[in-house]
Amino acid sequence: MQKFIFNLVTLLACLPVTSPAQTSTEALQHLLDELTGSGVPGITMSINYADTNLWLGASGYANLQSRTRMNPNNITRMGSTVKTITATTILLLQEEGKLQLDDKITSYLSKDQLKGIRNAELATIRQLLNHSSGIFNYIQDSHFQAASLNNLTKEWHAEDLLKYARNKQPYFKLGADVRYSNTNYILLGWIIEKVCGKPFWSVFQEKIFTPLDFTQTRFAATDKVPAGIVHGYIDLYSNLNVIDATNYSGWDYFTADGGLISNVAELNLFLTSLCTGKIISEASFQEMVNGIPAKAIDPPFFPIEYGLGIFKMDTPWGEAWFHSGDAIGYYACMVYFPKSRTTIVWSANGNYGKIDPFISSKEAMEKIFTTIFGKVVASNATCFAIPLLP
Amino acid sequence: MPVSIIRKFVFICILGAAPIYLNAQPPITVTLQNEATAIPFTKLFTRPVHPGVQLGTEGNYSRHNLSRLYQTISIGYIFHRHLFKGIYIHTALGYDYGFHSGFNLKAQVGLGYMQSFTTGKEYQFSQGEYKAGRDRGNSRFIFSVAPGLGYRLQQNNTDSPEIFTLYNCWFEYPYSPGFIPVMTHISQELGYSFYPDNK
Repeated sequence: MQKFIFNLVTLLACLPVTSPAQTSTEALQHLLDELTGSGVPGITMSINYADTNLWLGASGYANLQSRTRMNPNNITRMGSTVKTITATTILLLQEEGKLQLDDKITSYLSKDQLKGIRNAELATIRQLLNHSSGIFNYIQDSHFQAASLNNLTKEWHAEDLLKYARNKQPYFKLGADVRYSNTNYILLGWIIEKVCGKPFWSVFQEKIFTPLDFTQTRFAATDKVPAGIVHGYIDLYSNLNVIDATNYSGWDYFTADGGLISNVAELNLFLTSLCTGKIISEASFQEMVNGIPAKAIDPPFFPIEYGLGIFKMDTPWGEAWFHSGDAIGYYACMVYFPKSRTTIVWSANGNYGKIDPFISSKEAMEKIFTTIFGKVVASNATCFAIPLLP
Repeated sequence: MPVSIIRKFVFICILGAAPIYLNAQPPITVTLQNEATAIPFTKLFTRPVHPGVQLGTEGNYSRHNLSRLYQTISIGYIFHRHLFKGIYIHTALGYDYGFHSGFNLKAQVGLGYMQSFTTGKEYQFSQGEYKAGRDRGNSRFIFSVAPGLGYRLQQNNTDSPEIFTLYNCWFEYPYSPGFIPVMTHISQELGYSFYPDNK
């Protein structure tokens, strides 16, 4: 009894300032409406609590020209969230004995493929997965940025993109730090293809999408602009005047660092399944989330550690595992809170300029988590409000 | 620097040079362009072709034998597919160093003002939602450096028509605040300069 009273008192002390009623479906819908009312063209969100209840919501427009309302089941570009799928596939291949994370990538990739990519010669698969390879990120090359704007509808293949990573100074000595680099995941896509003898997106389909009974998720290479995909918009000039960018993600179609097309329900199911042992083994998952702290965080964000295709972030609501992704005109983020067994996925059909702070900043995440979990009372306390999900 | 100050500076430069266009018979220059967003001096010819056209004139500050110092003033239009279309006014200070063969080497530095518009429909956020709206354009400043080569068709005539090409590297500012502050461009230009009063 004493223990019960102690637990009750502890629970009450940890209750958020907001009442559970405020985390109702109305509060969640209000959150989405507030975001679209601030300048996000459209947004969808899914929340899976304790792997039992799934809440789906949407606000704004899927197509500004036709004034088609956003529907939570709409498919959209999920960008770099695919990196978690790439990493999961690699871990599955390790479980099948087809590769080892600490194998050197030179065991799988040819000299021609790695020509001029500094640090690649000694890098391991693990170092690509957790971004400790120091390999230059092609997206950061100003020549690439100018070239992609010069031809917005170009479809880029791995070789085209890697041109901008070859003969570039690495960020640091192999394994000395962690820094995000899309180049790592292009190489991982090639490794999957080498090991499996087929396009990496076919391997995603066989090993992940089909077993999870996904009907909406696919990789862009097979259907670049599928019927029903929401239109994407960019605020390029930072004035909330947006243009349609649905066809401008051509550098995202054929490489394993982006290109995922899905909806928030299926992406939520993927992350929940991954984090609850339904896709890879517990041992593999522990390898995945065993992160390396970043020495510098820029822009200001929660403290994060780099896992294998997933990040661990330390939030006031507790530890969370996440990955986000951008395509041109699209943003998505998926987060799993292990303590409350809550998975949150949101996707917006707009980005850059003044839209980004509403959807991808630390403040944006705090707003979303506060709405779902409530405010944290004590700075050191990890308190959760259970959302009233249907 | 505030946009309004830069804009005034550009127009003062253009208007300040006006007398040189009036003190002699000025030529007319017509230029065709191929524009690209690219890092200057990294590519000679860029694709896909983004066309532009420019109409201008120029006046000499000084002329010695085969060389001359001059100022240009131009208006132009650029159509960069999927990204922008721009109308601009531009002035450049130029120096030509000529040879008896009729060829001359050119160097120009300039600045200008461009009104940039989207190529597709623009949706403007107002009163809590996006609506298709009239694109009023964005103010842009142009800073340019252009080496080039010219060929005067009548070598002994100071008012000779001329064919020229310029490799125009220009910077567009501001571009995308907080994301890409300055955008660099290359325009490959092919032009013809002539004196309309010459019979």
